Amino acid sequence: MPVQCSSCGERRAMLKRPKTGHSLCKECFFWAFEEEVHQTIVAAQLFKPGETVGIGASGGKDSTVLAHVMKVLNERYNYGLKLILISVDEGITGYRDDSLETVKRNQQQYDLPLKIVSYEELYGWTMDAIVKQVGLKNNCTFCGVFRRQALDRGALMLKVDKICTGHNADDVAETVLMNVLRGDIARLRRCTAISTASEGEGVVPRCKPLKYAYEKEIVLYAYFKKLDYFSTECIYSPNAYRGYARTFLKDLESVRPSTIMDIIHSGENLSVREGVKMPVQGTCSRCGYISSQALCKSCVLLEGLNRGLPKLGIGKHHRLHDKILTKQPLTEAEERKLRKSVDF
Amino acid sequence: MCQVDEDYNGQLDRDEVLSFSKKCVKCKEATAVLVIRAGDMFCSGCFKEYFVHKFRAMLGKNRIIFPGERVLLAVSGGPSSCSMLNQVQEGLSQNAHKKLRFIPGIVYIDEGGALGLSVEERQRTVDELQSMFKATGFPYHILPLEEVFDLPSSVLEESSPSSEQPDITYKAAVDHFIQTNRNCYLSPEKQADLTGLNIQESHTHSLQQIFGSIKTLTAKEDLLQTLRQHLLVHTARSKGYSKLMLGDNCTRLAVKLLASISLGRGAQLAIDTGFSDLRYGDIITVRPMRDYSAKEVSFYNHMYNVPSVFIPTLDTKTTDKASVLRLTESFVTKLQAHFPSTVSTIYRTSEKLQTIQPSPSSSTAHNWDKCLLCMCALDTNVVEKASAFQATLISELLSQRRASRPVDTASPTLRPEFQGPESTAAGGVGCERAACGGGCCSSVKAPESTELKSLLCYSCQLTIKDMSSADLLPQYILSEAQRRKRRSQMREEIREFLLDEDY
Amino acid sequence: MESPLPLQSLRVGGAELLFDGVKEHQVTLPSQSEPWDMKQLLVWIQRNLLKERPELFVQGDSVRPGILVLINDADWELMGELEYQLQDQDNVVFISTLHGG
Repeated sequence: MPVQCSSCGERRAMLKRPKTGHSLCKECFFWAFEEEVHQTIVAAQLFKPGETVGIGASGGKDSTVLAHVMKVLNERYNYGLKLILISVDEGITGYRDDSLETVKRNQQQYDLPLKIVSYEELYGWTMDAIVKQVGLKNNCTFCGVFRRQALDRGALMLKVDKICTGHNADDVAETVLMNVLRGDIARLRRCTAISTASEGEGVVPRCKPLKYAYEKEIVLYAYFKKLDYFSTECIYSPNAYRGYARTFLKDLESVRPSTIMDIIHSGENLSVREGVKMPVQGTCSRCGYISSQALCKSCVLLEGLNRGLPKLGIGKHHRLHDKILTKQPLTEAEERKLRKSVDF
Repeated sequence: MCQVDEDYNGQLDRDEVLSFSKKCVKCKEATAVLVIRAGDMFCSGCFKEYFVHKFRAMLGKNRIIFPGERVLLAVSGGPSSCSMLNQVQEGLSQNAHKKLRFIPGIVYIDEGGALGLSVEERQRTVDELQSMFKATGFPYHILPLEEVFDLPSSVLEESSPSSEQPDITYKAAVDHFIQTNRNCYLSPEKQADLTGLNIQESHTHSLQQIFGSIKTLTAKEDLLQTLRQHLLVHTARSKGYSKLMLGDNCTRLAVKLLASISLGRGAQLAIDTGFSDLRYGDIITVRPMRDYSAKEVSFYNHMYNVPSVFIPTLDTKTTDKASVLRLTESFVTKLQAHFPSTVSTIYRTSEKLQTIQPSPSSSTAHNWDKCLLCMCALDTNVVEKASAFQATLISELLSQRRASRPVDTASPTLRPEFQGPESTAAGGVGCERAACGGGCCSSVKAPESTELKSLLCYSCQLTIKDMSSADLLPQYILSEAQRRKRRSQMREEIREFLLDEDY
Repeated sequence: MESPLPLQSLRVGGAELLFDGVKEHQVTLPSQSEPWDMKQLLVWIQRNLLKERPELFVQGDSVRPGILVLINDADWELMGELEYQLQDQDNVVFISTLHGG
C-alpha cells in the first residue's frame, strides 16, 4: 500500500528517513538532506565568500556526497566559494588505485579541479613499503598521521583557505564513545567541534559540513542520486578497538535511532572540571606542525622508518625524541627496543 | 576514506592468563582467594579489611556527612545497597575503628506496581526485606511507588538548606560531637514504619497506565528512575533526613555514564555519576559505594553472608537490545572481560567532568531554567551557532508538511522561505501553532506533549516523546508544569520592565 | 575416574530465575573416563539445569561476562577458570553481578 510523502503529501514515499522515521519521496528527501547541510554551514559560519575550499576526496561515499552537495549548495545559495578536490594517494596497491579512479570520475562529473598528493612524494614512503617495514599491527598509526599532514600539505600547495572533510554524524558519535572508553578528556572536549581554527604554521583550518548527517542517509542520498563511489574496506585491517565502539554505536542506533545525535549532543555539552591536566599544544621543532611534544608524530614516525627502527613512535618514547632531534646516536639497548620484531 | 584516528596507538592488548602464584599481595602469606582489578590478589582477611576501610575512607575523605546528621539509606534489595547497609552497620558499631557518626534510616521503594507484579508477590518481597531491616535496628520506611501520586509539586523545586546547618568546619563538628559524646543509637519503638504495604488500587492502575503508554523500554526505565528519585527525595525531606545515600557501585556507574552519553545527558554526567549530587538543595545525595566494582561487592557479600534479595526490575531477563541501558551494560561487561581497565577508565572520566548548574539563590525564581523532571540545568538553548539540538529541530521541521511550516522565531538562522521542490499543494492539514520548534505537526503526538518540551532538558524530552500522552503523568508534575508556564508568560509580558535580567 | 562425582553443592545467586527459582542444587555428575572440568560442567548445567534463556548464563564456552564463578569460595580466575578439574565434594557458586544494587 503506497504511503504518501509526509513532506509534500503528493508523491509516493520512496524511503523512510533513518534520522526521523518520516516517509519521504526522493525529491523531498534530497531537498531535506541538502537543506540540513546548508543550515549547518550557515549556523556554524563555516565559510566566507571568496574563499578557496579544498574537499578531502577519497572516492568513498562520504567525500563523494560531500563534493556533490557542496557544489549544489555553492550554486544554489551563492556561497561564492572556489571548490577544489584534494585526494591523498597512500600507495596501497589495489585499494587506492580504484578509489582514485573514482575521484577522477568525480572530478569530471562535478567539473571541479582535482589535486592528488601522494605519500611517496611527500614522505618518500608508500603504505605498502611501510607495511613491509612495520608489519600489520601499527600500520594504521602511520597512515592516520601521514594522511592528516598530507591533506594539509596539499592544501597549502594549492593555497586553499579551508579544508572540509566528509566526517559524518556516525563518525563523530563513534569518536565521542572512543574517547570516553579511552578516558581521553582532552580529545573528548575537542572532538565534537565542527571546525578547527588554524592552530599554527602548516595547518589549514578544517570543518565537517556533514557533521549532522547520518551515515545511512548519506548512503541513501548517494544511492538515489546515483552517485558513484568506492566502497571497499582498506586491505590493511583497521584498528580492532575502534571496531567495538562502532558495533556499540550501530546497536544503539537500532535500539533508538536518535542516539547518534544524542551522543553528539552529549559531547557538545559536557564540561571539564577546572584544574584537570590537559596537554599543551606547541609546534614541532623540525617541521613546524602542531604538536604537544618537541617532535611531531609524523617526524618521529618518519625518523623511525628511515633509520630502520619501526617501533619509534609506537608507544611512549618521548625521552628519546631529544636524542633524535640532536642527532645523537642511540644506545644499543634503545636501538634494540625500537627494532623489536614486528608481528604480521 | 579510512577514518582511523592517528593517535590511538592500539596499545590496548588483551589481558594474559594469570600466573598462579596465588599469594595475597598484601600480607604475602595467606593464599589468595580473589582477584580484583588487573591482577591484585587478596586473601579473605586482607580483602575484608580493604573493603571495610574503603567505605570509611570514602566518607571520611569527602567530609560531607556531619556527625549526628540523619542519613537516609536507599536500599533496593540488590547486592550493592545491601552491602552499603551492612557497612553502615559495621561502621556504627561501638568498637569500630574510625567509627561512623551519623544517624541512619532505611528506605525501600516497592516498584512492583510499575512492573505489574501481584500484591502477594510484592508483599512477599517486602516481608523478606522487613526482617532484614528489623535486624539492623535502624528505623525503616517501606513505600510503594504508587505514593508518587501523593507528592506535592514542591518536590520539583530546589529547596534551600535548612538554616540549622551552621557554618562550622567538618573537623570542628567532629570534635564537638566527640566532646558531647552523643550517642547514635535509636530506641527500638521508633523503628517500624509500616507492617504492610499500603497500596491504593487506583494508584496502581494509574501507574500501570503511565508505563503502559510508554512505547520503549528505554523511556520506561528513565521515567521510573525519575519518579523513584522524586519519591526518595521527598521521603528524606518529610522524615527529617538531610542526606540520601545511594548504593551505586563503580561498574554500575561506568555503565550509567556511557548510557547517559547515549541518551543525551552529557551536560549532566558529573551530577548523575559523581560522589555527591546537590541538585535538590537541602537534600544531598551521596554515593559511597562508587569505588567498589560489582565483583568486589558480590564476593564480599558471599564471603561474609551479607543478605540481599533478588527483586526483578523492568529489564530483568530482557534481550541485550531491549533498551539503551541494557545494551550498554552488556557492552561494558563484555568489553571489561577483554580489557580489564575498561570500567575504571570510564569511571575515571566522570571525575574529570563537572555539571554546570544555574547559580543558587534564595528565591525559587530560577526554576524555569531547570528541567522539570531531572532538575538539572536546561541544555536546550537554541543559539546562533550550530548544535546537535538545533540540527534535530531542523530535521523534524524539514521532514514535515511544508505548507504549514511556521516561521520559527526562536531560531533566527532558519530561513523563512523554504523553496523546496515543485509542489502544487496549496496547503496541508497542519496545526497553526507557531514557534513550537517542530514536532507538533506529527499525527503521533498529542498537543500536550509539546507543552512540556520547553520545560525539559534534551534527554527528558526524548523520554516524554515516547509517551503517547503526557497527561498521564502524576498531578504534581503537571501542575508544576502549568505553574512554570504561567510564570514564564508573565515574565514575557513584563520583560522590558525588569531591571535584573536573571530574576 | 571411575566413580561418579558428587559436588557438595552448586549454587546460583542472582540467576535463580533461570534455574526455576532454585538457589542451591545438589549435583552428582555421572562418571566418565576423563576428569570433569569446568568447561564440561557448564555444558552439563546448560543441558540439565538451565530452564530457560541459556544466553543469559553461558556465552560460547564460558559464562556470560558479568557472572562471577567461585570454586570452594575462591575466585575461579585463580584456579584456571575453564580448565579447573573438579574434585569430589567441590562447592561451585555462580553469582550474577548484572543489574541489582
